[in-house]
Amino acid sequence: MAITLRCLKELGDVMLQFDRISLQEETEVLRAEVRRFLDCHRAHFEHPNSDFSTGHDPAFSRKLGEQGWIGMTWPKAYGGSESSFFERYVITEEVLAAGAPVSAHWIADRQSGPLLLRFGTDAQKDFYLPQITRGEAYFSIGMSEPDTGSDLASVRTTADKDGDNYRINGTKIWTTDAHRNDYIICLVRTAPQTENRHAGLSQIIVDLRNDGVDVRPIANMAGGEDFNEVVFDDVVVPADRIVGDPGNGWEQVTSELSYERSGPERFLSAFRVFVELVRACGPAPAPHQAAAIGRIAASIMTMRRMSISVAGMLENQKDASVEAALVKELGNNFEKLLPEIARMALPSGVEQSLYRRTYEETMLLSPSFTLRGGTREILRGVIARGLGLR
Amino acid sequence: MDTRQLIVDTATKIFSDHVDKTLLDAAERGKFPDALWQLVVANGFHQLGSQDSGTDEADLFAFLTVCGQFAVPLPLAETLLANRWLGADDTLASIGLAADTRVNEVLWGRSAARVLGVRSGSDEVLVSVVPIVVTESTNMGGEPTDEVELGDPVIINVSPDPYAQLALTRLNLMAGCLQAQLDLGIQFATERSQFGRTISKFQAIQHSLAIVAAEVAAAKRAADAAVDAFHDPRFVLEVAAAKSRVGEAVGIVAEQVHQVHGAMGFTHEHRLHHFSRRTWAWRDAWGNEFEWQEKLGRHLANLGADEVWDFIATRN
Repeated sequence: MAITLRCLKELGDVMLQFDRISLQEETEVLRAEVRRFLDCHRAHFEHPNSDFSTGHDPAFSRKLGEQGWIGMTWPKAYGGSESSFFERYVITEEVLAAGAPVSAHWIADRQSGPLLLRFGTDAQKDFYLPQITRGEAYFSIGMSEPDTGSDLASVRTTADKDGDNYRINGTKIWTTDAHRNDYIICLVRTAPQTENRHAGLSQIIVDLRNDGVDVRPIANMAGGEDFNEVVFDDVVVPADRIVGDPGNGWEQVTSELSYERSGPERFLSAFRVFVELVRACGPAPAPHQAAAIGRIAASIMTMRRMSISVAGMLENQKDASVEAALVKELGNNFEKLLPEIARMALPSGVEQSLYRRTYEETMLLSPSFTLRGGTREILRGVIARGLGLR
Repeated sequence: MDTRQLIVDTATKIFSDHVDKTLLDAAERGKFPDALWQLVVANGFHQLGSQDSGTDEADLFAFLTVCGQFAVPLPLAETLLANRWLGADDTLASIGLAADTRVNEVLWGRSAARVLGVRSGSDEVLVSVVPIVVTESTNMGGEPTDEVELGDPVIINVSPDPYAQLALTRLNLMAGCLQAQLDLGIQFATERSQFGRTISKFQAIQHSLAIVAAEVAAAKRAADAAVDAFHDPRFVLEVAAAKSRVGEAVGIVAEQVHQVHGAMGFTHEHRLHHFSRRTWAWRDAWGNEFEWQEKLGRHLANLGADEVWDFIATRN
């Protein structure tokens, strides 16, 4: 019994390694800089919200781009500053905590850019990456379809080679900001499905403004129209829009998903509710109010350290897919718990306050927290695989 | 290999060889595991973190995590802190919550040559080398915990905050003990067969253990952060955050791992309860989650809404 336990302990330790990391002086210099910048641009977020998908402000994104804070880990040749993952971490957590409007450039910075950098052709990198780092090109993710949710390999949208072009047919759905972004990278089938479900998939870039796609906004339960149905009816794009090699789509899309799972946007979405809770409780809170504040802070402090540990793994080019899934699992659940803790700490008489407005906005968005970027169920599967259970 | 890893590996080897179900049961019936204690002394573990030992407090707390992982039934946290505060000694020491010279919940008070009394919010610690056991008792973790009268107490001053140091011992013990519960859950799920396959193949079981893994990971990271803050002005507040977060993990982990074990884990014969009961006791010892959350929350409320982020966004 004891020997078996020890073997399992080793397995567990390998699995649950979140290194202790101290941020360096340079990142703190950068932190002071971004705080000064945010102070000067408060006019862009009079009503702060820490949810990364709330607040679409191209003018603000361009200003961040001017500062060199988009695509900052990328090569200088593409407008990046070859910064570390820690420096990028500091920028992302500061803009989110302040509640600045970052949704316009967020996907391009976090996901589409790194994808192109890793798998794209030189021509694609030369064309798209500088636009992204300037804060001028915004990307959507074309993965889900009406009959394809978590089961990504079942996508039906096709891209058929037609001379020097591809002809795209099908429908993408839940596509955030497709109605105001510039490009969408779609997961499509370029070869008929075979026994290997993961074969024959490719990623292709479509210009949302000029390629003739039909974008239909879908109202969400929070009263917003952020996501869309995107219909491709014989949309023709040049063959050089394929990202990487045709047929390599599955490998690319799974690596892309791991970029998006461990960042501070996975536990800070409800952060402004916390700030307004502290404000509403005042300097001499009742015991249960103080405990609510302490409980929330304790959780955020822990998840932030775990997230920084993952940034360290990315910096050292380690595979962080399981650790990232753990951070997202904890973070998304907590983002939903935060408003629940907050509401019990304040009497319902606190009407019309900034707290109430922030709370309601976050509460209405909260069902999406454990859906976007991989559902809770998918993430638990990833973790279980890491534990050796499947 | 660095010193800390050597300590952890050696302790793991010794405890996995010697802390078995029989020893745990006997200790819970009140039989002091003397041979194990002699082994601890022979290996010098009782001096970790003490002056001139060549080890520091981070080694001490790393060792306690291993103690938690095996539910080692000795007051090692107490003896180690006493030796750190008073200078290393080969005798057993224990520490309890002081109300005057009467000290409560003294782990193995009946076997301790030295008993110390600590109060919340005070840096004064009472030390007695002639403790008198008033009543013998056992906590819900199955640990002998006694009420002790301190004979001829001497006052010493301890820094950083002794109450927070005790809380730090419990949260490191818990971090290790939660890992043990995850390991037991994985082991059971991969061995137990139902409906023609191991239950680890069922999604419901996989998701339960994924939840446990996330809580264990959070508990370990929170515990490490509090240890790292030992010499920091924020020490008490970092302990507050960690005791809160690790304590929260306890309820979730024990609930899920017991459910995975089914009725087997509810038997006295199975070893799971030694670990789940220990963590239920430790989350209440030296301040439960609410007590520490309130302390941290008051500090933040006093800083003000626009300063809370700066407090959270530390370098370490």
